[in-house]
Amino acid sequence: MKNYFEDMMPAEELAQVKYIPTIPEFVTWIESKWRELPALSDTVNTLTYKQMCDAIARKRAMLNAMGLAKGDKVAILDNTTVEAVEMFLAVTSAGYVVINLPSQLPAPAVAGCCMKFGVKVLAAGAGFMETAKAASCKVIDIADMAEQKAPVAIVDKNDPAAIFFTGGTTGAPKGAVLPHRALMRGALNGVYAPGHQLGCQRYASVLPLSHVFGLVRGTLSVLYEGGAWYAAANTKETISKLPMIKPTCLVAVPGICEILLGLVKMYGKPFLGGNLRFIIAGAANVPPKLIGEFDQLGISLFAGYGMTEGANLTSGNIDVKEKPTSVGKIYPGQETKVVDGELWFRGDNVFLGYYGDPEKTAETLTPDGWIKTGDLVRFDEEGYMYIIGRIKNLIILSNGENVSPESIEEPFYKCDKLRDCLVKEDEMDGKKVIAIEILPRIEEFGNTPWEEVEAYFKKLVDEVNATLPTTHRINKITVRKEDFKRTGAMKVSRN
Amino acid sequence: MERQEILVGLKEILQLIKPSLDLSAVNENSQLISDIGLDSLTILLLSLAIENKFNIKFEGAVKFNTVGEVIDYIIKAKA
Repeated sequence: MKNYFEDMMPAEELAQVKYIPTIPEFVTWIESKWRELPALSDTVNTLTYKQMCDAIARKRAMLNAMGLAKGDKVAILDNTTVEAVEMFLAVTSAGYVVINLPSQLPAPAVAGCCMKFGVKVLAAGAGFMETAKAASCKVIDIADMAEQKAPVAIVDKNDPAAIFFTGGTTGAPKGAVLPHRALMRGALNGVYAPGHQLGCQRYASVLPLSHVFGLVRGTLSVLYEGGAWYAAANTKETISKLPMIKPTCLVAVPGICEILLGLVKMYGKPFLGGNLRFIIAGAANVPPKLIGEFDQLGISLFAGYGMTEGANLTSGNIDVKEKPTSVGKIYPGQETKVVDGELWFRGDNVFLGYYGDPEKTAETLTPDGWIKTGDLVRFDEEGYMYIIGRIKNLIILSNGENVSPESIEEPFYKCDKLRDCLVKEDEMDGKKVIAIEILPRIEEFGNTPWEEVEAYFKKLVDEVNATLPTTHRINKITVRKEDFKRTGAMKVSRN
Repeated sequence: MERQEILVGLKEILQLIKPSLDLSAVNENSQLISDIGLDSLTILLLSLAIENKFNIKFEGAVKFNTVGEVIDYIIKAKA
C-alpha cells in the first residue's frame, strides 16, 4: 500500500511520474517525455508537445529581450486559450512571475492590478487589447514570439512562480504568491485518478486560467500526464464543441456540470462526445444529486477540496457513491492536523504569503509553514474528510455559542428540489435570529403554484429544525426566485 | 424565418430549461431574468441551445434583456 491516490494507478504508469519541483524542469521533462503526442489544441490547430515547447522557448526569448530581471512580473489577460497556456509556461520557465488576470476585469481594474503588483509587461489576447491599453506598463500581443529560442532559466523550487487572486466567498481579494514547488505538487497530485492511463486522455478546458483549479488541475496536471488539452475561444464555444473534442475527462465547477446535464437532457448523451469517463468537480459544494445523475450516464464525478493558498488540491474523493458528502482523503506531500476543529496543513504545496500583506499572511501561514485553512473539518474512522463549515462564517448566538451555517445547510442539500441555500444571522422584531434563504431547483416543481413551492420548503425547514438543538433552529425563511450573488467560481457569495 | 416561428422555437427551448414556466405568458416583452427567471447558468445553457436549434453563433459578448432582443439577434444572424 503506497497511499490512497498512488494506489489508484497501475504501477507501471505511476513509475513514470515523479515530483518535479520547478516549472523550468517540468517544461524540459514534458518536451522529452511526451514529444510527439498532441498537447494543446484550439480545436482547429493542434500542437504536439515538441511544437508547444518550441513556442514556449520562443516566447521566453521575446520576454528576455525586453530586459526583464528574474522575479519581474508579467500579467496575462486572455480567455482560456492555447496562447495563454504557452505564455504562462514561458514566463514561469524564464524565471519571471506570472499573474493571470480574470478575463472579465474592466479596464480600470486591469490598470489597478498592474499598478498594485508592479507588473512590467501585460500580455493580452486578441480580444483584450483595448482593455489592456489602460495599463501603464508595456503591453504585448499574447501571440508574439521571437524567431530564436531561449533556454529555460535556473530557478529554486521556493522562488515565486505565480500570483493568484483569492478571496473565496468572504473578504476582499488578495494575491496569493505560489512558488514553483507548490504549483508542481498540485499538478502532480492532479494526475492520480483510478485506472488512469498516461498519454492518452483528452481534456476539454472550460475553466478560467486565472483560477487555480483551472490552471493547476485543468492545465498543468493535463500536461504532466501527457494529455491533450482542448479549448475553443471561450467556455460556451468549448462546451458546444464537446461532440467534436470527444473528451475523456473534464475539470469543472458544479455549475458547469449542471449545464452539461441540461444539454444531455436536450440533445442526448452524444452531446458530451461519447468518451467522457470522469469529471473532477471542485471549487464549490458538489451536491450528491449531481454525482448520482452523472453516474446514471456512466460518468464518474469526483469531488475534492482545496484552496488557492495550497495550490489547489488538498483532498480528493473517488468513493463518491459510498461517501457522497465527503471531500475525500488527503493528497500526498502534505501533513495535516486538526486544531480546535480547524484543518491545518503543510507541505510542498503551501504558498509563500499574500503579496504585500504580511498581516494577512501571518493570520493564515504559521512561521513553521502550516496553513490555517479556516475550514472546520472532521475525519471519519477510515480517514475520509468532511467539511463542517468556515470559521469566518460562524454565527455567534446570543448565549455565546458558535454555530457554523454550513453545518445547518448540510441537511438541506440532501433535498433534490433545492439548488442552493444560505444560512446567516438576521434580525426579526429586533432580535438576532438564524435565517435561511433557499433557491429551489424550480424545474422539479412543474406547474406548482409559487405558494406551494414556499410551503414545501417551510415544511422542510420544520423537519430540519426538529433535528437541531433549540438554539440552532431557523426562525426566518426566504424562498428566492432569483439566483444568489455568486463568486467567480459560481459559489454562493456570503458577502 | 418569421418572428413568430422563432418565438415558438425559443419557447420549446425554454420549456426544456424551465419546465415550470407558464409558456402562454412568454412574449417578446418578457424579461429573461425578472420574468422568465433565468440565471447566469441557464442563460449559458439557453445560448448553447439557441446556437444548436437555429444554427447561428453568438459572436463576442452579447447582452439581451428581453425575448424580443434575442429574436432580433437571431434574425440578423440568419440574414
